[in-house]
Amino acid sequence: MRNQIITKEFLSAMLKSLTKDYRVVAPVRNGKVLEFMGISGDTEIVMNDEIPYKSAKDCFFPQVEKLLTFKDGEVAANINAEKTIIFGMKPCDAEALRVLREVFLAGQYQDPFFQSHFENTLIIAVGCVREKPGCFCAERGIDKSFTDFCDILLNDEGGEEYTVVYLSEKGMDLLGRFEETKHILPPPERKAAETAPEVKKVELNQELDETAYFDIIDWGKATEICQGCGICTFICPTCHCFDLKDVSMQGATDRFRCWDSCMYPKFTLHASGHNPRASTKERYRQRVLHKYLYVPQNFGCTACTGCGRCIRSCPAGMSIRKVVEEVMEVQP
Amino acid sequence: MSFEIQKEKIKQICRELLEKGEVDVIIGYTAGEIEGTRIPYIFSKPEEADKLEWDERCTPNLCTYLHGRKDKVGIVAKPCDVRGIVNYLVESQLKKDKVYIIGVDCAGMKDDQGNPSPGCGECSVKQPPLYDMRVENPDVTNEKGAPPEAADPADLMEKLERFQNELQKCILCYSCRQACYGCYCQVCFMDRGVPNWQPATPDLGAKMVYHLGRAMHLSGRCVECGACERTCASGVNIRYLIKEISDFIEKTYGYKTGLDAEDQPVMTTYAFDDKEIGFLGGDADA
Repeated sequence: MRNQIITKEFLSAMLKSLTKDYRVVAPVRNGKVLEFMGISGDTEIVMNDEIPYKSAKDCFFPQVEKLLTFKDGEVAANINAEKTIIFGMKPCDAEALRVLREVFLAGQYQDPFFQSHFENTLIIAVGCVREKPGCFCAERGIDKSFTDFCDILLNDEGGEEYTVVYLSEKGMDLLGRFEETKHILPPPERKAAETAPEVKKVELNQELDETAYFDIIDWGKATEICQGCGICTFICPTCHCFDLKDVSMQGATDRFRCWDSCMYPKFTLHASGHNPRASTKERYRQRVLHKYLYVPQNFGCTACTGCGRCIRSCPAGMSIRKVVEEVMEVQP
Repeated sequence: MSFEIQKEKIKQICRELLEKGEVDVIIGYTAGEIEGTRIPYIFSKPEEADKLEWDERCTPNLCTYLHGRKDKVGIVAKPCDVRGIVNYLVESQLKKDKVYIIGVDCAGMKDDQGNPSPGCGECSVKQPPLYDMRVENPDVTNEKGAPPEAADPADLMEKLERFQNELQKCILCYSCRQACYGCYCQVCFMDRGVPNWQPATPDLGAKMVYHLGRAMHLSGRCVECGACERTCASGVNIRYLIKEISDFIEKTYGYKTGLDAEDQPVMTTYAFDDKEIGFLGGDADA
């Protein structure tokens, strides 16, 4: 395996040299938090086991994205994603991207904007050394040190080195550009048993209809401390609800897609003034069922990878894992 | 007196209140899923009192959970929580007979690194200004703590730069609003469709509209609990701005929020001799 190793120093220099041809996104310290940000030659890339507070989903599904421009009776689509390299996505984040791909590209409708970002991005994932407080990826069936939903996978060997493998042609080509890495190989075949340790999974029974879950637990009690702030949806690697907004200025109209959040009252407010999800109880239930029931039923994968961000960042200390476990105890 | 002794006292008070049926529920703290964290919990049975926690990690402002409740509520309240309750009384958002305040002397809260929690370092109100039952800590007095880390620059352009530097981190998720005891508007100005205050895209302008609007709305209402800064996942500190407004109000009108339930809300009281320097500029002493 000795040949499969690169130093962090080399990797940092390599990423910086790539900024000439790509937008390179990596974990960077921004004030008190660690965040995925575009880097330049003098940015300090954080290469420890910390997990950025927010996922890197905005590289594929930006918080604000101009989709269309209407002018003089013509409509122009803005499909021009920059070539991007993301360094530092954890296996939970990479697996979450698999969920987004299913939602945006594999269903009845294909989203050309997401597709453009997806195809123009190369992912350098980094395995986790240890679980962070609130993490539950194992219970979600994800290996914290391995994912094949990336182009290059690194694992921290402690100290100043990473082991490297590539998992796609894109990854191989990138490594082939550097003398120091062109000999790197793909990972040896992994047996399923190795990658999936026996842990009781946190999941809902997808055979059941949603109505079976509407009153299965006291959702009011489960959500009484929720403040409805919606930070869980913003930092979540799989949350993907959005709103479309038109902005007219100087004879042209731009149509933007912006993140929205099911935790906000306005999310479901009808023009009549009626709101079918009147309180936090209904909104939080929707969030849980969307992740653990509707996406599995519609796309065959659960929209939660156990990254633990929502648990760590919740100002009231709500835990989606605890709530799902509470439901699991009573579900038929 | 340590947190541990206070905790046993609070537990006993809560158990008795629930046993005697003097309150329907008690809002207090319990252990969170992440080790060491303390989260809000609504206690409704006497036996639940064993789960109650009180230590230097009890950071959330529980006052915000009182708003809109119809039942009789007991609350484990730090001095900043009590200041929030007092301001609810001042603003007629709560009837005193609907709340039983277990006021707890507070030696200051810590974050997970052991540093003072936002607001705690410079806190000057460490004993509850109003209570039905007080849990004392003789080591704690109402002395002013350390001044805030960075004083606000005097130059207007520097002020703007500092403000915008903070805002580049903001993702406009509105967590600070939701965590704030004082943000209880049924429909926030940012959520209104008509007029639409919120620019269509969450750029710097939208962030400025929101944070300046919220700061203005909190004039003379902030109780310095630090919830906004503590809650922010993105690490934005907008509290310094609101603190500046609070200091201005204290200097101009001699009013400190949440200390006296008989007060009139400072910004809705009119006086003929008011120089209105908040609008017109000038100096309070001139």
